[in-house]
Amino acid sequence: MDFVLSQFLGFGGAFVALIADPWTYVYMIGSMFLGITFGALPGLTATLAVTILTGFFGNKIPLDYSLIALLGAYVGAIYGGSYPSILLNIPGTAASAATALDGHPLAKAGRGGEALGLTTTASFIGTLIGTFALLIFVGALLLISKNIASPEKALLALFGILLSGALMSEDLVIKGWIAGLIGLAMAMVGLDPLLSEPRFTFGWSYMMSGFQVVPVLMGAFAIPQIIAGMRHVKAGTLLQLSDRILPHFPTIRRYMPAIARSGVIGTGIGALPGVGEDVAGWVSYGVGKTVSKEGDKFGKGSVEGLLSSETANNACIGGALIPLLVLGIPGSPPAAALMGAFMINNVIPGPTLDPAIILRVVAILVLASFTMFLMGLFTARVFIRILRIPQTVFLPVVLILTTIGSFSVGGGINDLYLMLGVGFVAYFMNMLAFPIAPLVIGVILGGMFDEMFRRSLFLSDGDLMVFASRPGAAVLLALNAALIASQLPPVKRAFGRLRKRAA
Amino acid sequence: MKVFLAAFAGAAALIVGAGSVATAQDYPFRDITNVVVWGAGGGTDIINRMIMAEMEEHLPVSINVINQTGGVAGSNGMVYVMNQPDDGYTLAGISESNVTAAVQGGWDQKFDYWYPFVVGGSPDLISVPANSPYGSLKELIDAAKANPGSIPAAASGAGSIHHLNLLALQKGAGAEFKFVPYQGSAAGQEAAMAGEVALVVTSLAEQAALITGGELKPIAMLTAESAEIAGVTVPSAFDTYDGLTTYLPLKQAIGFAVRDTAPDSVKEALTKAFDAAMAGEAVAEWAKANHYDIGGQSGDEAKALFARLESNFAYTLQELGVATIDPATLGIEKP
Repeated sequence: MDFVLSQFLGFGGAFVALIADPWTYVYMIGSMFLGITFGALPGLTATLAVTILTGFFGNKIPLDYSLIALLGAYVGAIYGGSYPSILLNIPGTAASAATALDGHPLAKAGRGGEALGLTTTASFIGTLIGTFALLIFVGALLLISKNIASPEKALLALFGILLSGALMSEDLVIKGWIAGLIGLAMAMVGLDPLLSEPRFTFGWSYMMSGFQVVPVLMGAFAIPQIIAGMRHVKAGTLLQLSDRILPHFPTIRRYMPAIARSGVIGTGIGALPGVGEDVAGWVSYGVGKTVSKEGDKFGKGSVEGLLSSETANNACIGGALIPLLVLGIPGSPPAAALMGAFMINNVIPGPTLDPAIILRVVAILVLASFTMFLMGLFTARVFIRILRIPQTVFLPVVLILTTIGSFSVGGGINDLYLMLGVGFVAYFMNMLAFPIAPLVIGVILGGMFDEMFRRSLFLSDGDLMVFASRPGAAVLLALNAALIASQLPPVKRAFGRLRKRAA
Repeated sequence: MKVFLAAFAGAAALIVGAGSVATAQDYPFRDITNVVVWGAGGGTDIINRMIMAEMEEHLPVSINVINQTGGVAGSNGMVYVMNQPDDGYTLAGISESNVTAAVQGGWDQKFDYWYPFVVGGSPDLISVPANSPYGSLKELIDAAKANPGSIPAAASGAGSIHHLNLLALQKGAGAEFKFVPYQGSAAGQEAAMAGEVALVVTSLAEQAALITGGELKPIAMLTAESAEIAGVTVPSAFDTYDGLTTYLPLKQAIGFAVRDTAPDSVKEALTKAFDAAMAGEAVAEWAKANHYDIGGQSGDEAKALFARLESNFAYTLQELGVATIDPATLGIEKP
């Protein structure tokens, strides 16, 4: 209890010092705007926003100020990714891929303004939940992240792929899993993570670094959207929009349990080293679909589905900072870029870090979430007008932005061919009602699954029991098994009968 | 973003330049771009951002640092710099691990393609989990000798500097561990903390925070000198096993490079700024806080250092069977 009290007192002091300094607002508002813009442009990621600002400020301004800029951009970019997800059905960052599932149907129903307002609120509360955990539950979350080893990570990655496959299928779950397996196969291309042997590279050095996530993401989501949009242009029709963006308070209150649940899930996933916002959104969405009363409406414009993914990806930020600040191990890719900013300034994140810096980080995150909320309600008003631009003008612009985004990851022109290739395949998969998201998740998590699975077996000399003998692994194994079993026809029938009897 | 800025700066410089053709322009006239071939937040990235900021103080222009990652052993970034003119306005931020790019098929140049500058590196050491039963290097080696190939040892990927250090330890002490590769040092250290492996070989800079926090227990430095950290003296492994001097020390060399074909005036200007920055207080302070040893080599001295590293790495990779190109065909001599 004393610890909690002293943490709050320390936070209060840091927060007052922060808001009393006029420079704070200059850095915060500037970086927040940059972050939201990066997030909203398809393909430009939170990691890129933080990296660029690290280069820009680096050791040129004091760490206290560069932290404001970097954290502001991080929070802004994770939030900003929801704009194109909702308005265009193209996720701005991988973190908001799950947001598109319910956000876009809402926008199509003319509730785009409401959806943007809700995600703004959800991101705001999510960031606060993650930050609160960083302040208070550091110890408990650290225990989780310290005890997670290769077998758990392998099973977690597999769970993510299976889950998105099961959630995304319109007709047959097996189609989602097929897409997931294609993604998994794509993740195998490149230098093998354990022995550095080239696999499926056909002697081409570009293939050795494997398929980058951003071009695959852009190809899978943006290209089919653009082709479909251009094929079915109806001149002169505009979406009817209600202009209300400020969310109804009763709506928020009604969904408070869902928001709280998603916040906790997001924070926990963020605390796992190397697992970031993209996974958090999916897992939270999946859990939401399973436990929610309106679970069958998920994917058709459910407010709860929207809130599940958006709260979790922002809550992930606070969680990801826990292993970074306390152990010196970044919890997500943007957190890795943040680590560089610390180290350039002679501040080594880890057990030796000055506790005052953690308190300042918490204070900055709290201020960032308020800034994001206020700016978000304003920028959403501007962004929603995008829907009024005719598609024939707008979609080519999106294609250009997408191309820039894919190019920005550094693989050169080949990444653009990859984007187009994946895009055409994805378009035809869409026509055949194969969900495309599991493919992307397969590419994102496949590398991790491959590496962790094989390392586990390597360590255990090929004994499969390694996935069942550790308590954490056993729980995850059971979850995976349950997920697969729940889709087998006999099990499904048994459940159906049970449900009928209960009703 | 920065690329665009640099492009704008370049365009502006061209326009200004056209106006005053008569005056010869001394290097550097416009902003320099340093392309770091490893990711943001890693050791090479941090060192480059630090040294570039210091060198800016001694140059009339700014230096922009960008990251161009991917490929094999940083080949994407190196190929990118190769495709720019060799006028000294594009540098490459590199480390010792880039010397394997050629034998792994990432590109087709021997490392003397570069004219390197070495900022420094951090010495490697062996650490065990905080609750490990092994208290000294001797106990660990004896256990490995009793059960060859059974004690799991973490180091970053096959052919990395830390893996080579582990191999050298095995040869020098006559023991055999079960090498478990990880993607990067942080992941290996994490595995040691979680108890997945019995020991980890990475650099002091990478382990410092975990050692100070009591998460890892350091047992031996893989250099001739001992080291002081968190109030404890970590003994040199050479004190216990003198056979190690044949294979060690094998140290990181992190810095940057300009193309060897760049004009001499460029090399001189860079060397002057580099030497001035390295002599400064800020670099010394940074190195001390981050547990790095200062290098400071440039020119022929740095070239010789990288040539030794290249030959050592290349033939070790060939022995391990992971080199796709025979080092001899590239003209790399045996160590």
